[in-house]
Amino acid sequence: MQQYYRRYFWFLTAPAVLLFVLVIALPFLTGVLYSFTAWRGTYFAGGKSVFESFVGLENYRATLESVDFRAAFTNSLFFTGISLAAVLVSSLGFALLIGMVRKAAGFYRAVLFLPNLLGGLALGYIWSFLFEIVYTRYLFGGEGALLNVPFFANMLQSRWQALTAMAIVTTWQMAGYMMMIFITGLNNIPGSLYEAADIDGCTAMQRFRHITAPLLLPSFTIVLFLTLANCFKMLDVNVALTEGSFNTRLLAYQILRVTRDFSPPDYGQAQAQAVIFFVLIAGVTLLQVSLTKRREVAL
Amino acid sequence: MKKAESHKAAENGSRAAHIVLTAAVIYTLLPLALLFINAFKPQSHILQNPIALPQPFTLAYIRDAARAISFAASAGTTLMLTAVSIGLIVLTSSLCAWMMVRAKVRAAKILFYAFTAAMLIPFQSLMYPLLSLFDRLGLKNLPGLVIMYGGFGLSMSVFLYHGFLGSIPLEIEEAAVIDGAGPGRLFFQVIFPLLSGTTATVVMLNAVWIWNDYLLPFLVIGNRAGRRTLTLELYFARLTAGQYGNPWELIFPAVAVSILPIVAVFVFLQRWIVSGITAGAVKG
Repeated sequence: MQQYYRRYFWFLTAPAVLLFVLVIALPFLTGVLYSFTAWRGTYFAGGKSVFESFVGLENYRATLESVDFRAAFTNSLFFTGISLAAVLVSSLGFALLIGMVRKAAGFYRAVLFLPNLLGGLALGYIWSFLFEIVYTRYLFGGEGALLNVPFFANMLQSRWQALTAMAIVTTWQMAGYMMMIFITGLNNIPGSLYEAADIDGCTAMQRFRHITAPLLLPSFTIVLFLTLANCFKMLDVNVALTEGSFNTRLLAYQILRVTRDFSPPDYGQAQAQAVIFFVLIAGVTLLQVSLTKRREVAL
Repeated sequence: MKKAESHKAAENGSRAAHIVLTAAVIYTLLPLALLFINAFKPQSHILQNPIALPQPFTLAYIRDAARAISFAASAGTTLMLTAVSIGLIVLTSSLCAWMMVRAKVRAAKILFYAFTAAMLIPFQSLMYPLLSLFDRLGLKNLPGLVIMYGGFGLSMSVFLYHGFLGSIPLEIEEAAVIDGAGPGRLFFQVIFPLLSGTTATVVMLNAVWIWNDYLLPFLVIGNRAGRRTLTLELYFARLTAGQYGNPWELIFPAVAVSILPIVAVFVFLQRWIVSGITAGAVKG
């Protein structure tokens, strides 16, 4: 049999390998190379070929000194921090609550999951209406509104408020998905453990701390990973809510727009930002996975 | 006595859970409810009272919006694009994963690491070189877009198939080979049917993402009319109409018709979609 498989190995993996090389590997590696050059998108400044327009670390220096890039970096950290906390609390909360009800669990699951299927851009437009009209006029705008909380009124017109608004939309969209991961994790915990705990007279709090929490850690690893990665890469909501105005570019949007900040467009610098972006995402997610994996317990 | 007490506590807890979850359901559905109420109203009514039901009820705004985003054409394009891309992803990744699991060669391991590492690469870090490469190849068009989706959907899908294929006993394949089956028949008649659960997950994960994607069509197709996807039409419709404030009487119905296909599919296939997509995350 091995002979049989080996004979066809390259023939049958070829389509996938070809796609991988063409779409991922080759562009990624040339991208790293281009980040050290004065690439202008269609030509290389200062020479005919890539190697003649080599500028060393100049693009990286310019990036680290760039006010826009630093602002986008701060924005992404702020946005990811808030979203991460909100998504974690709400998704775990929903999963635990659904575990407590006997009726209608399927209905709750389906409805809470639904936003995940809808496009970030389309729903972002609807949310911008909610923030501009409903939040401002009916809920938080004072005078005629239910409450007077200036922070939640006219949210799309200042930097930190708009970033919080993006986090609200993101949480709304992502929580149901993460909830499903927690529910799967909860269902995998054997009921016998809880029965034993009941016989030993455990309180609900003790049950959560000593059984649910440790055995749910693998789900935590996945949820943290997905939320971190998706928040750092967030683009659609940014486009739909602010299009980067009021200094609200997230990193993904910054990289998309930086080429238009210069004339002629500086693709070399954009590429340096893109490489930093990659290192950041890969670093943070790998660090997180290795940290949480170490704490997981085997049953 | 004690049992009755704990039963009562559980009952109370369940009631509290119902209350909180109902609130969460209302909060989740509120934007969608507003969306569908306001899709039938003129701008002035929307701004005056967004929670009032449409009065009088008219389909005029839906019709205008459907025309503004050329709904039939763009939905057709999006559907074709999604279907063909998914076909490509399913076919290439399942074949590749099968070989990677079965053939005990070093290249199989290297491929596995390469695909796994690729999942950490964000799109933004390679989009400019990718576009420049595809531009030179003459692929800045719909077929090029299919190839790009193929490449991006690949890693996760190979990973999922790889995980499942390991659990299929080798004996089944040996029997088929002894009966004289070539690799094509062996794969499509014996292996592929066994993968249907994973295939469903792969299809749904990629369908949601490709159907809704904004960035790739924006970069590859841009504002070339006649080839735009739904999301792209929506973006440009708002851009052209929204130079002076937000044209809500266009945005609401346009968003409504563009998400209607997904909502409809979800209502019918809800159980499979939720479990399929979650399986993808848990296994990945």
